[in-house]
Amino acid sequence: MSDDYNDNKIIQAQSSEVMGGSAGVNPDMDYVRPSELPEQDLYHGHTFLTKWVFCQDAKVIGVQYFLTAVFTGVVGLILSWLMRLQLGFPGLAGFMTAEHYYQFVTMHGMIMVVYFLTALFLGGFGNYLIPLMVGARDMVFPYVNMLSFWMFFVAVAVLMASFFVPGGPTGSGWTLYPPQAILEGTPGSGAGILLMLISLSLFVIGFTMGGLNYLITILQARTRGMTLMRMPLTIWGIFTATVLAMLAFPALLVSSIMMTLDKVLGTSFFMPTILKAGEVLEYGGGSPILFQHLFWFFGHPEVYIVALPAFGIVSDLISVHARKNIFGYRMMVWAIVGIGALSFFVWAHHMYVSGMNPWFGFFFASTTLIIAVPTAMKVYNWILTLWRGNIRINTVMLWCLGFIVTFVNGGITGIFLGNVTVDVPLSDTYFVVAHFHMVMGIAPLMVIMGAVYHWFPLVSGRLLSEKLGKWHFWLTFLGAYSIYFPMHYLGFIGVPRRYFEMYDSPYMTSAVGMNEFISLAAFIVGAAQFILIFNVIKTLKNGKKAGKNPWQANSLEWHTSTVPPEHGNFGDRLPVVHRWAYDYSVPGAKEDYIPQTTPPSEVAHTEVEKT
Amino acid sequence: MSDPKIDGFELKPGFKGMASDTGSDQTMFKGVHWGKAMMWIFLLSDTFVFSCFLISYMKGRASTPVDWPIPSEVFALHVGGVPVPLLLIAIMTFVLITSSGTMALAVKYGYEKNKKMCGWLVLATAIGGLTFVGMQVFEWSKLIHEGVRPWGNPFGAAQFGSFFFMITGFHGFHVSIGVIFLFIYAYKIFAGHYDGEGKRGWFTTMRSDYVEIEILGLYWHFVDLVWVFIFAFFYLW
Amino acid sequence: MIVGLVFLAVIVGSVLFHIFTPWYWTDIASNWGAMDDTITLTFWVGGGVFVAVCLFMCYCIFKFSYKEGRKAEYKPEDKKLEKILTWATTLGVAALLAPGLIIWNQYVNVPKNAIHIDVMAWQWGWQYRLPGKDGKLGTTKVVNINDENPFGINLDDPYGKDDILVQSDVINLQNNKPVKILLRSVDVLHNWYVPQFRSKMDAVPGTVTFYWFEPNKVGEYEVLCAEYCGVGHYAMRGGVIVQDDQDYSNWESEQETFQEYIAKQNLLNEEKKLAKK
Repeated sequence: MSDDYNDNKIIQAQSSEVMGGSAGVNPDMDYVRPSELPEQDLYHGHTFLTKWVFCQDAKVIGVQYFLTAVFTGVVGLILSWLMRLQLGFPGLAGFMTAEHYYQFVTMHGMIMVVYFLTALFLGGFGNYLIPLMVGARDMVFPYVNMLSFWMFFVAVAVLMASFFVPGGPTGSGWTLYPPQAILEGTPGSGAGILLMLISLSLFVIGFTMGGLNYLITILQARTRGMTLMRMPLTIWGIFTATVLAMLAFPALLVSSIMMTLDKVLGTSFFMPTILKAGEVLEYGGGSPILFQHLFWFFGHPEVYIVALPAFGIVSDLISVHARKNIFGYRMMVWAIVGIGALSFFVWAHHMYVSGMNPWFGFFFASTTLIIAVPTAMKVYNWILTLWRGNIRINTVMLWCLGFIVTFVNGGITGIFLGNVTVDVPLSDTYFVVAHFHMVMGIAPLMVIMGAVYHWFPLVSGRLLSEKLGKWHFWLTFLGAYSIYFPMHYLGFIGVPRRYFEMYDSPYMTSAVGMNEFISLAAFIVGAAQFILIFNVIKTLKNGKKAGKNPWQANSLEWHTSTVPPEHGNFGDRLPVVHRWAYDYSVPGAKEDYIPQTTPPSEVAHTEVEKT
Repeated sequence: MSDPKIDGFELKPGFKGMASDTGSDQTMFKGVHWGKAMMWIFLLSDTFVFSCFLISYMKGRASTPVDWPIPSEVFALHVGGVPVPLLLIAIMTFVLITSSGTMALAVKYGYEKNKKMCGWLVLATAIGGLTFVGMQVFEWSKLIHEGVRPWGNPFGAAQFGSFFFMITGFHGFHVSIGVIFLFIYAYKIFAGHYDGEGKRGWFTTMRSDYVEIEILGLYWHFVDLVWVFIFAFFYLW
Repeated sequence: MIVGLVFLAVIVGSVLFHIFTPWYWTDIASNWGAMDDTITLTFWVGGGVFVAVCLFMCYCIFKFSYKEGRKAEYKPEDKKLEKILTWATTLGVAALLAPGLIIWNQYVNVPKNAIHIDVMAWQWGWQYRLPGKDGKLGTTKVVNINDENPFGINLDDPYGKDDILVQSDVINLQNNKPVKILLRSVDVLHNWYVPQFRSKMDAVPGTVTFYWFEPNKVGEYEVLCAEYCGVGHYAMRGGVIVQDDQDYSNWESEQETFQEYIAKQNLLNEEKKLAKK
């Protein structure tokens, strides 16, 4: 690209009308420091292969990540149908053995948590939105970014391959606890578990490449005027989640390597002396609890790796569609950072009854409940953003409202499980299943859907159908709520998780009707997701043209030179940022929004606060 | 190096100054090359990998029902029939630390655009690393010869071999990757990729720059530092 | 408008569901009534917050839905309100945490007079061992386990000789007498869980874990495995029979000690040898 981009002129107010007409204007007020960085050179693909397959444009990579993650998500969804079929109507599916059931449980869990949600939020939304929202031309290392996606793709391929190897995929539960996971007799204890561990390691390597890109782009490649405290909360959420991932995935990698060695070489990192079918195995002296510590040192931050981007995105969606600034922006930022930091000190709350030293319970219960405070603050700020707003009740807002309900519900049950004593009767029961599906399944899913409806016009230039969107929302929200809300009560009764059949105990038999109902709701909710796919296809064919900035939003991604943005994002000149992303409904302003690029002199007559 | 001067940006004193500096627009670390920042964050992540390994090792060693082998005996080298503890490992450590020195010099000459010195020093570092890996292979084969296996050994707890081979292996893997890259970069220097504006890479438009030598140096020093910890935890504990 | 009403219906429905639910916890049969109390406390505090937040949200939907020409309020921050909310939340959380920690303290401190019971788990079954007259359990090792020594008791441990072996998945307990459950597993993770006792803990191979409770209701209860242990997990059941003092000591006196078991085995072996000859 040419040297024009290196135009380091200090930008002065350009509208002479405003300059003359307003008293509070002085020539310095629009000053933004000149550019520190040279213009980024981009590799423009010319062939089909370099433009769409091995593409170095973060936006294309984002869509690639998104579609791959959605594919795994559909697989996970089908697995959940099969599980619910067994639980609601045992015996109806003739092929369903206990082995199959546990394999489906395992694969459903791992797919949804790692390959669907993590990849979707960080790989999908992260890649697409980071450069656009911070005002960069692309990620800082486009080539590494491309490798990151293909590594993820290989990881998914390896994972899916495990369905077709002898013995099938691993059936050790998504937590892969040893000794179970690698002992003969467990479904998929041969090739299945190995492929799972290899796939996870590949995922970690691929993610590290992507994560370095996200972090450096956010830290070192923002546009002029984009200070940290002007970044949209979406970026804060993705940034903090990526930091967590960079520090938490090592524990997963290490535990995967160690378990692989236990399986392949016969080492005993996690394997104590074991008596199996009357014979003492070669193993001895290892510690199964060590694996659990490593796994949850990854596993708990993982929850926030999914939740924090959702927090960030939903803040932006609520603010845009309530036509009001996000309430307490600073508090929101510090809450995200604080939750992220605290999430490294709470992992053993997954292990209160695991047989670790019970004295740990005091520490981890305290840290866990401390996390509830910043989380609650975020919830207050979301609903206070709605307060005295001008709320557009469109599909996007519906998803946000659905998120608030499900997230608060799931968050409250989290307080049950985090508080060590309360956890004892409820852990390992359906209460846990209901809790984490509500808080890190349904709630982030609501955000994903809201984000899809919100940003689809940016990606494709067309607006998704509102009518279909509303059907999609109500079926999903009401359906999912009626799956997981009653499920808590199965946990109160005491029904343990991961039961293939449960109709032989009196207090479980009482729940037959509820299980059938939950299964039916699950089938409907699953089917409802295909409305979105239909909606997307229909819209791409003949949807309403969105035009530029259809939601009247402030953040930079809506102010690109073309819609959808081309490679390089911002045309000839990078945008210059003068304010935060939340100047909505400023008193005195002509429109009810002031884009981040609007210089102060143009809005000097309004009551806008300096940010 | 002194702080690079950033146009239009003044450091303010005190905590407030730190906050406004950190949160200022465009970059958080003023004047820091993207690649360098990336390497630092990668190394932070890698630190967690090695920490997980070493903490697992501590936990494993502390809780085996069988006694741990005595390191000064297992790792002793017989010189003329006399067992000398830590001899081999001292030489290995010396070689690796020395290679860190040559690496640091290479970075210096790189920034001075002294192509010849920089190239030779990178090559020397690579050879140092290769020597280290070679000695590690020797030590591994010696231990294997004595009956130490990942799944058991004649000296005590089976986990000794497991952790030793896994952690030194993982470190050796890091060193090997480093050696490969050192050779590649030595070639790049001599081939003139860093002359003038710098050559553009394959399938990318980024230009080569001597800062890459510093980035590689960061990695190399990190690998050395990790070795110091492994050395302490395995050989001195 | 309709949107707000539907959300309102969801909230009201949730509350009604809780009030009228036929599915709630089983009648408690141990001393851990305090655990139920903490659940109830958390339920009302948490449930109150949930309802309050959602009602506020519904109110906003009714009151502030989009109207052409109306402008939203512009107020980036309200430090005072944020401070009040932070402190109120902190207080609420502390109020929930404190009783939790106090009861956890009771949970990890086993009373001195508790009877130790060795619960041994494998894929997929349970068996139990009581300390016998000397009140102490003998030490065990997985490698010792065989037909003659089903519990793997160390033969040179004097405490092990009078241990009472219960080679059944049903164990009898004395009413109103605290028990310390000592869990061990010979293969994978298990968890000895009786919903009516509220308490549970994993059995981990390679180590012994524990928890305690005091049954306080005579009756028969089902034991469930509550930690995934393979394809037989869902069928891994056992039983507990809580009895009065008299019934219990009758039962206890009928059980076989380790010494008696060895003697019986030796006798059987000799008979076998004789038969062979």
